[in-house]
Parts: sequence; structure tokens; C-alpha cells
Amino acid sequence: MKHIVISMESKLSHYINEASNLNTSSFEKKIRIGILGSFTLNGIEETLRVKCAEKKIDASVFVSGYSQYHQDILNDKSELYRFSPDVVFLILDTRSILGNFFYSPYSLSTDQRKELVEKKAKELINLFEVFTKKSKSKLVVTNFSIPTYSPYGICETKSELGLQEMILKLNSKLYDYARQNQTVYICDFNGFVTRYGESNIFDYRQYFFGDIKVSLEFIPLLAEDFMGYIKTMLGINKKCIVLDLDNTLWGGIVGEDGFSGIKLGLAPPGNAYMEFQHSLLALNQRGIILAINSKNNEDEALEVIKKHPHMVLREENFASIRINWNDKVSNMREIAEELNIGLDSITYFDDDPVNREFMTMNLPEVLTVDLPQDSAFYASVLHGINDFNVLKITEEDLKRKDMYHQEKQRKDFEKNNTSIEDFLKQLDIKLKIKKADQFTIPRISQLTLKTNQFNLTTKRYQEEEILQFSQDSNMLVGCVQVEDKFGDNGITGVFIVKKENQKEWTIDTFLLSCRVMGREIEKGMLEHIIEQARENKIERIKAQYIPTKKNKPVESFLPDCGFHKEDDHWVYSVKSSFKVPNYLKVSVE
Amino acid sequence: MSKRLYELIGKVMNVPISQISDGSGPESIESWTSFNGYVLLYELEHEFNVKFTMEEAIDVKTISDIKRYLRNHGVTLND
Repeated sequence: MKHIVISMESKLSHYINEASNLNTSSFEKKIRIGILGSFTLNGIEETLRVKCAEKKIDASVFVSGYSQYHQDILNDKSELYRFSPDVVFLILDTRSILGNFFYSPYSLSTDQRKELVEKKAKELINLFEVFTKKSKSKLVVTNFSIPTYSPYGICETKSELGLQEMILKLNSKLYDYARQNQTVYICDFNGFVTRYGESNIFDYRQYFFGDIKVSLEFIPLLAEDFMGYIKTMLGINKKCIVLDLDNTLWGGIVGEDGFSGIKLGLAPPGNAYMEFQHSLLALNQRGIILAINSKNNEDEALEVIKKHPHMVLREENFASIRINWNDKVSNMREIAEELNIGLDSITYFDDDPVNREFMTMNLPEVLTVDLPQDSAFYASVLHGINDFNVLKITEEDLKRKDMYHQEKQRKDFEKNNTSIEDFLKQLDIKLKIKKADQFTIPRISQLTLKTNQFNLTTKRYQEEEILQFSQDSNMLVGCVQVEDKFGDNGITGVFIVKKENQKEWTIDTFLLSCRVMGREIEKGMLEHIIEQARENKIERIKAQYIPTKKNKPVESFLPDCGFHKEDDHWVYSVKSSFKVPNYLKVSVE
Repeated sequence: MSKRLYELIGKVMNVPISQISDGSGPESIESWTSFNGYVLLYELEHEFNVKFTMEEAIDVKTISDIKRYLRNHGVTLND
């Protein structure tokens, strides 16, 4: 049986044909992609443009000449730099980097092999350094695939720094470099080859025909791996997985088969459902929110979730639960509302094709996954989805699961309080205003990339841009960490202010994560900016509301806080007093 | 079967079937670049469940050649 992901992918000719009929100029999201490689990569340009268009991204792609990557990177005036890419994929292969030593590594002594690895790593890293100095683009470099053939046969692994270990070492040096450099990423090409098989990826005939080192059948799948970076850079990743229960999280129907009759356990087919749940739990622990949308009797289904000995996911793993007989589209809308996330942040798993069709027709913005009939493949389908990425895993990602659990407790607490003021008073909210530094910059960038609702200007900034702002004395960059009696919400607000001149500052970015909306945190944050302005004898603070489809919640924020309209801007006179709710305890770090 | 072959070639080369004949090849179809030639071979292998040898692949000059190789691999083409 073919790998499930291969069987779901379209052929290269589909992409080549589609690419000539694209009309992407109306798409809001745009990206410029550079492709550099050490072998023939025809077809990848068309595939990336079509895959981007499917996600409503207008992609321009530059493909460097055959194996011209050195020249393109080293020459200031190369077409690559003139193209001014946002992201460059540098696709390298083991044969090209080792040259003849690929065939006869043991013609060198152990010491010489060590030197060769050092030399090759140095050459590559120098190239990356030159590129990162000359361009603001992100650089995604493929690691080297480890060849399975060795002239030493079964003694390969006995040899000190054998062929395979040489490649491992070279890869490890690239990882070390990328860990230190925020704009360089290493894409696991070796993992790609392992996933689909070396003898499938590398077709000798195609190699002899035209130095094609990734077989044409696999070009769309390689492009799909690259899409993981592109979607994440543009902030269109999924935050939440909504799950059906019967025949999705367990086999059978609890209402008919009963608590002990459902298939969930260590024997097949129950173990396939456990495997799926384990994979979901791992994503949950990494910051992906889980929710349930199921037609069932709530008591019966909850009993399984709470008490079944082989349930891996428990009630506390689900940030929102809708188990009822309502239609699933209404449930889905309610879940999005409860979690304060957009429907386009949701991925939906349901075994029933009719339910899936109903969802796709009514809520096309939800990513409804085409689950195969056989539950044995659920986990591998989940693994094949590259929409859950972040450019950096922050502390907030790791804590998110607990934060949503706390939020549920907060909501219960709110129900027991008669007025919103009483509720907010008793929450004991503490705001810590923090500077942009090496610990907070990744999260600040992540929030600018992801926040859609409470965001005045929706300007997206990469980490290196935030770093630049934070070092600029004419800019004020900060963030806010919010804590309350139920726990730490982490860094959930960001502000970026431009110090225009000695009288006037402009708010460039002002945003709040949806998780803490409705608690007037924004007023604490704004007060901090006003205070800073006052200390610097600034007279006016200018701000702008740039409407988008999603930022309605922040529409009246500026006039509500005393800003008045001047032409196309809002202006606050620093002389006027600003009132912050007295239940907010604000401190500056 | 011949229709199936023409449809596939039309799809890969992005040309209407009416412009394809047995004598067509890289000389007469502009989009039949060497790369699209590789794409065509790999699509043919999938479509007809055959494996061409490297020498056969290099030797393709016209659609007649493709038909001949397909027949050699046991594919029946009804003209």
C-alpha cells in the first residue's frame, strides 16, 4: 500500500497545467519565493504557485539557474537579490556536496574525512552568512539525505566517521548554525527521503536523463513540505482541532455499543484510535487547542472521556465541548465564538463524509480533513497536515493547554458573579509591562503574525524586524504579560510606538490576544504609553484604525479612550487625564 | 486506447487533442521541452502501468515511438 499522503497528492502535470491559468492578483496575502538548488528542480515553481493560490496567497517565484546557487548568493547584483525574496529555499543534495567522495569516501583517511566535513560545513555556513547579510529574507536550507548504500557494506557502521556518519555530522553542524541564527531554518530533507523511501525519491533514470534528484512524482510532496514554512510565515496556520467522537476518537457508536462495547484499547482496531489520540495529545501539549463537536447523548460520551481506561485525551484536554443533537455547523460556530478564534483557525476531523460535506459547504473556511475510511491511517493523515507549525515554539505555546483549562474555570466563575465589574474585580488581574528583549521578541513577532481581532493596524512583523525596532531609539516596543487568580495568561499584548519628533508619537501597532479580550487590559497598556509620552514631554499621540474583515472588536477603541479624529488619524492629547479601571494592577519591568 | 494516450499527451503538453497526431513530437509541439518529455514518460508509466528502459526513453522522437514501446510492453492500443 502506498503512503497515504502520496495517494492524496496530485500529479506534477496537474500543477504545471494549473499554473498557466492562475489569477491571483486579488489575493491579499503575497509572498516572494526564491528557489536555489544543486540539481534540476523544474516543476517546483509551478507547484508552489498553485499550492499558494489554493491558500489564497499570491506567490511570485524566482528559480535560480541550474546549480547557480553560489553565484546567486555571492554576487550583490544577482537576479536573486534584485528579486528581493521573502523566503529562499536552498535545496542541496549529498552527491553534489561530496563530489567523487560520495562514491569513494574511504579513499580518504579518517582525519582527511574529518577535515572534509569541516571544510564543507564552513563553506556552506559562509554562504549562509553572506546571504543573511545581504538579504532580509528567511533562508530555508535542506539538510543532506543519508545514503543507504556504502561500499563498506555491513562494516559501514563500524568505520570511524564513515560515509553515513560524515553526513550526520555535516547536518549537525548546520543545525548548530541555524539554532544561533533566527532567519535560517534547516528543512528536514533527509526526513522527507526517509518518509517516502530513497528508492522512490531517487530514480536513477531521471537522474541520468537530466540530473533530477527528486523524482517528478515527489516534487509536489516536496513543495508541500515547503508550504509548511510559507503558511507559517504568513500566519495562516491552524490553532485548533475540532473532533467528532464516534468512529473518530474511538471505534463504534457509544449510544449503541455502550461504554464497554466501543473499540478503544490495546488490541486492534482500538489501538489505532489510541495512536490517533496520542498524536493529538502531543499537539495539544505543544499548544494546539482541542475541542469536541459530536452528536451524542452528553452523559454517555462524557462518561467515556472521563472514565474509559484507554482514553488518552481527557476532559481537561478539550477547551470547548459541544456534545448535543444540534447541527454540527451551529456547534462549530459556537466553539469558535467560545474560544474567540476565527473559523479559519480550525481543523475538523469527522469520519462521516456527509458531515464533512455539510461542514465544507457551510463553513469553507474550516479545514475539513478528508479522513480515510480505515482508522489505521488516522494518525498518519494527522502527521501529514503541515498547518500546525509556528516559526518558534514559545513558552506561551507550551502553556496554552493549561491556559484554556483555566479559562474554562474563569467562565464558570463569571457565571457565579452577578455583574461584569464584580467579576473583573475578583479576578485579581495583574499586568506586567515588559520590554522587547531576547526572551519576549519571538512572542511579540508571533502575536503580530497571528492576531486578527483586537489589532488596530494588523501589521505583520518577523522576529528580526522586531529586533531592529527594539534597538532603534526612535521606537518604543513592549508587551504585556497578564496574570489573574486562575493562572498566567503569558504575553498577550503588544505595542509598537514610533517617536516621530519631540512633540508627537505614533502608535504603529497595538494588539491584544483574543484570549484576554474583554478585561480592559488594553486600557492598562494604553496608559503605559501615555505615561511614557508624558515623561518625554510629548503633546500628542497619533493612532490609526485600519479596518480588516476581522478587527471589528477594536473599531471604537480609540474614540472610547478619548482620541479625536483629525483627517485620517486619531489623536490623543497627552494633557488630558486617562482613567484605568482600578481593578487592574499594572507594573513595569 | 489511442484516445487515452492522446488525452494524456494533451494534458501534459497543455495542447488540444486536435493538434496531436502520431507524427507529433518535440519538433512539432512547442511545449514538448525535454523536461515535459520526462513528465510525460512518468505519467505514461503510471497510466499504463509499465516501466520504460532508459534507452527507450531517450529514443522517443514522435508519438509513434511511444505507441511502439507501449506495444512492446504488452499494452494494446486500438487505433
